[in-house]
Amino acid sequence: MTPDALALQTETVAAWTALAPAILLGLTGLALLGVDTLWPDDPSNAVLAGVAAAGSILSFAVTGWFLVAGTGQASTGGAIALYGDALVVDGMSLFFTLIFTVVTAMVVVAAYDYLDDHSHRAEFYSLTLFAATGMAVMATANSLATVFISLELASLPSYALVAFLKTDRGSVEAGLKYFLIGAVSSAVLAFGISLVYAVTGSLVLGDVAAAIGTPEMAGVLGLGVLMILGGFAFKTASVPFHFWAPEAYEGAPAPISAFLSSASKAAGFAVAFRVFVQAFPLEAVPAGVDWVIAFQVLAVVTMTLGNFAAATQENVKRMLAYSSIGHAGYALIGLAALTAGGPNGDVLGASMAHLLVYGFMNTGAFLFIALVEHWGVGRTFEDYNGLASTAPIAAVAMTVFMFSLAGLPPFGGFLSKYVLFYSAIEAGFWWLAAVGAVNSALSLFYYSRVVKAMWIETPVADFEIESRPVGLYTAVLFAGVGTLLLLPGFGPVIETAQTVAATLF
Amino acid sequence: MSEWIAIGALGLVAVGIPLGMMAVSAILRPAVPEQGKGATYESGEIPTGTARVQFNIQYYMVALLFVVFDVETVLIFPWTVIYRSALSQGVALSTVLWPMLAFVGILVVGLVWAWRNGAVEWVKSPLANRQKTERNA
Amino acid sequence: MVGIFDFTPAIVLLPFVSFLIALAVGDHLPKGGALAGITATAGSLALAIGTVLAVAGGRTYDATLYTWAEGLEAVNLTFGVLIDPLSALMLLIVTLVAFLVHVFSLGYMNDEDETGLPRYYAGLGLFTASMLGFVVADNLLMAFMFFELVGLCSYLLIGFHFREPGPPSAAKKAFLVTRFGDYFFLVGVVAVFGTFGTAAFVGSESFPALAEAALRGETSVNTFGFAPQTWFTIVGLLVLGGVIGKSAQYPLHTWLPDAMEGPTPVSALIHAATMVAAGVYLVARMYGFYAISPTALAIIAFVGGFTALFAATMGLVKREIKQVLAYSTISQYGYMMLALGGGGYVAATFHLMTHAFFKALLFLGAGSVIIAMHHNEDMWDMGGLRSKMPVTYYTFLSGSLALAGIFPFAGFWSKDEVLYETLLHGLDGDPILLAAYAMGLLAVFFTGLYTFRMVFLTFHGDPRSGTAEDPHGVRWNVKFPLVVLGVLAAVAGFVNMVPVKKVTGLKIDFLHKWLEHGYAGLTVEHYGELLHDFPHYGSAGLELSPLGPGAVSLGLALAGAVVAHRLYNVPEPVEHTDRLGEIKTVLYNNYYQDEYQVWIANGLTRSIARAANKFDGGVVDGVVNGVSSVSLFSGSRIRRIQTGVVSNYAVLLTLGLTALILAFGLAGGWFV
Repeated sequence: MTPDALALQTETVAAWTALAPAILLGLTGLALLGVDTLWPDDPSNAVLAGVAAAGSILSFAVTGWFLVAGTGQASTGGAIALYGDALVVDGMSLFFTLIFTVVTAMVVVAAYDYLDDHSHRAEFYSLTLFAATGMAVMATANSLATVFISLELASLPSYALVAFLKTDRGSVEAGLKYFLIGAVSSAVLAFGISLVYAVTGSLVLGDVAAAIGTPEMAGVLGLGVLMILGGFAFKTASVPFHFWAPEAYEGAPAPISAFLSSASKAAGFAVAFRVFVQAFPLEAVPAGVDWVIAFQVLAVVTMTLGNFAAATQENVKRMLAYSSIGHAGYALIGLAALTAGGPNGDVLGASMAHLLVYGFMNTGAFLFIALVEHWGVGRTFEDYNGLASTAPIAAVAMTVFMFSLAGLPPFGGFLSKYVLFYSAIEAGFWWLAAVGAVNSALSLFYYSRVVKAMWIETPVADFEIESRPVGLYTAVLFAGVGTLLLLPGFGPVIETAQTVAATLF
Repeated sequence: MSEWIAIGALGLVAVGIPLGMMAVSAILRPAVPEQGKGATYESGEIPTGTARVQFNIQYYMVALLFVVFDVETVLIFPWTVIYRSALSQGVALSTVLWPMLAFVGILVVGLVWAWRNGAVEWVKSPLANRQKTERNA
Repeated sequence: MVGIFDFTPAIVLLPFVSFLIALAVGDHLPKGGALAGITATAGSLALAIGTVLAVAGGRTYDATLYTWAEGLEAVNLTFGVLIDPLSALMLLIVTLVAFLVHVFSLGYMNDEDETGLPRYYAGLGLFTASMLGFVVADNLLMAFMFFELVGLCSYLLIGFHFREPGPPSAAKKAFLVTRFGDYFFLVGVVAVFGTFGTAAFVGSESFPALAEAALRGETSVNTFGFAPQTWFTIVGLLVLGGVIGKSAQYPLHTWLPDAMEGPTPVSALIHAATMVAAGVYLVARMYGFYAISPTALAIIAFVGGFTALFAATMGLVKREIKQVLAYSTISQYGYMMLALGGGGYVAATFHLMTHAFFKALLFLGAGSVIIAMHHNEDMWDMGGLRSKMPVTYYTFLSGSLALAGIFPFAGFWSKDEVLYETLLHGLDGDPILLAAYAMGLLAVFFTGLYTFRMVFLTFHGDPRSGTAEDPHGVRWNVKFPLVVLGVLAAVAGFVNMVPVKKVTGLKIDFLHKWLEHGYAGLTVEHYGELLHDFPHYGSAGLELSPLGPGAVSLGLALAGAVVAHRLYNVPEPVEHTDRLGEIKTVLYNNYYQDEYQVWIANGLTRSIARAANKFDGGVVDGVVNGVSSVSLFSGSRIRRIQTGVVSNYAVLLTLGLTALILAFGLAGGWFV
């Protein structure tokens, strides 16, 4: 069946089926609760992980099919608006859903081993799936109300997941902090939304854009815009809303760190891209509400602070947490390098493509940490010494992740960073690219420390690695292969990303 | 004249009134320090212990379930109000009925799960357990 | 038709194959993979000779071999090969020196029973392959990638003896310092792509050609809001950052003396033909881009002249023979930069060539001495080696005469032309060039002095230690490379006897003729036009006899040699440099360059990093008590945090947002 035929078919079915990826994720979460209801005392870990993985992979497949078939894209009649424009399915939402679902799949597969000796597994899987549902809805949210609701739907399970290790004080503490900071940020976001509503009289993004031309309320509008920006900065772990991130990532179970730092962050970007581009288009915002400058400040500060802080860490997981903040700074370039009439689709698309690649390499890196935690090896760089001699395959994968995160060829991270910086230069923001490049250079220092510890240093103490957990290995290797394949496969990815991004403008 | 001046004035008054009241009463009242006046008021009882005591987790379980169904009611209520008129104006039954069924269905899944996992079971205190075993014995 | 140029990739690939062989099965090969390396470099050398002959026949070659990324917004990233007179000449130099170094390694490494030989030969092979790849690169990005590979290999080779304390740290330093320069280079590469959309060296669509056209107003490129002239200067200087790092120019020269921790053949390879030459070669390769920017040229010339003098003074007081050579290398590359900045493209290429021969010779000679001295490098323990190792002595002397610039050895001709060109263009009214020339001229004296100090201390006088009285013998595999290079050091200068040409009218400036053909945008004539049109070199039409300046520099070199003879060619030389007192300390400590760079690295960078960490760690730990970070999982911390430090997060978060809102509100005029 040709893609065209597929596209024609989708037109005949009800419009709500375009939401199938999100619905599938939600149903999978419910199904997991159902399994737990049937066998409340001892649900089989394999069944739970299998259901969760099957659901997320199915959702991934459906998303990929939609994306290829052109659902919600220009070839089949443009974006599909649902429920009075509250939700919209278009290329960008599908692209981001692709990231969420694949990260979710990797995380639940890895969690199979990680949760081996834990109770409350069903809750873990279902919360993960519900959070993923929230993220998928975030990518489609087209009204400030759905933005807020979906953001909460993604956040609330995350709080519980961070605190999942109930007997580990670090995990509980991190979860509580995450929750409190999240509450403050949600309040800020809600306040911002209310101010924007006060000025424009609408919550639907398109109507907001049509109404923001009234200059007498520019101050209130600007306040609202900046507060909304703050709410999204929390989700993307950007300065100054990043305080929760290092501790949540460090305290949380490692698969959840992977989930939060990859998928949750991408979701924050998805919603930020859509809201700022659709509701506050640069052509229409009154003078003085120049949010691009705010994003430029945030991007520079975030990447610099993240990288410098990462360089001084002794704990690998915490280093990755800060590096994740640094990467949020890179992705912010997607919004910081926008100009009225500039090559905006390219910039935004480059940022999206980077988030996709980042989804693979960062998830992989955190899952490797999960693997190491599973083995009971310590957390610092020294503890990793000589790991390559006992676990060479995993160490190769981790090396790929590290170098790819640093942006070295021949890994996916090289091209995505290259295109991102290139598009920033193309848009005239060569200094943003320069700051990014300098930061990447710095990042090589701390990423290579991990590699050096694993391959070159001799072990401080003997460690025994008895187990070769299948799920964790599968997930780590899948992420590694993905990171590698995204180098030759980057062409279609960036093409898709830039095409779907261009339709937003 | 900026509208922000009005907001600033409102803020000033908002802070000023309580401060002013406290200041005025501090000036007017006679100061007769006495131990009993400084004590925490607890419905006339003599206060015991601190306010930071551990509550049984079951309070929260019940409260959570209550909130869930409270919200459900809030959503169902307007739905019931428009249900008949929506049908009479030609809206398809599926459009009106299915969303609420799905919503209630999700809640039911959650409730059953919570029930099966012991959320509505009253906590087994050590004392109660002992009495139970004694009775069975 | 299959021509010699179809084998060009093989020149690069042969050493790479030897790298793979040495790495994979080196343990099982006799000589630890040395023979594979020698065969491969000999093959490369033969092919390079064939290439040079073909180029001499007037043919050139430019082909894109592989496009590894295309469709990226009209920028294609490619690997390609560019063979023109310059790269052919460089190929010959690199393959020849690499071949001789491989042979010499048999004597230096195998005969001395070093361990880890496969690793050593693998490193040499990869090193040679990367350098050759760099030489034939036809675009800036490919050049950059091989440039980095060269840096990586130097790291591996300098740190060959990684179990000792010195080499790993020297390797790290070489890597980091050159890397620091390379960052600028990388930014420069991106800037070139961003400006011109291409990084090709040759053709009408190459970036030097586009830059020239833009300055002549024939086309326009994206200069990011700067005037084209300014922007091209900025881009040129960014790329120059990499050059300064790799070619060990002030202030990034500090890695090179430390790099002497590597095995001596590696030093010969690095400092004669490869890594250090890469920087100068890069400037020559894209000379069309620099020639249009007077500011960049002036900076290159001044840095070069300054480095030449600066390094020469430090070379005066060193005790170890390889240290003296290291500083002389820095100094000589300063001359090449001086020539490039002063408009002497041919002179720089000429000096690059002669220097490759005589410096490789000197290092290999030093290696021979070091073998003889049982790996003691201190010149004050030597003396009197002349009679015991005559081959080494006479070849070393040939190299020293060339280095000091004594007529008629190779170095004389090339250095003379460097100084002559700079003086000629400086007299046009460019005071910076004149100052650079003055420094270069003064450095000639110091060069003569330290060179012959080294010769006299090593080979003359009485033996000053037991090993010097009874040195270890060396075999043919040490002597053969020395003799080849010794002859070249003596005669290589005859390929370009410009002063003789001017006086007699004979057409014997072969190197000028050599570099005159090839691609239209890459010839000497074209560069001459550019230099005339943009920095106005030679526009005053001055005529200057080469004899006067030549005599002055020869006189200075001889003066230096004579001083060295008086001071050190005695049976029992003493450390005359002690009389310099405090100055010697300063010189010995290399003007405290290391200290200040370490200070910058430690004091500045680390404190910034620490400040960032403090800011965040402080937040994490509680701004209230400002205690430095301990593990998140220590019990007391948790209690403290649970009593409300998370509220500090909230406070900082709110303050941050408020600051943002205030800044934007005030700037955007919301509050009026």
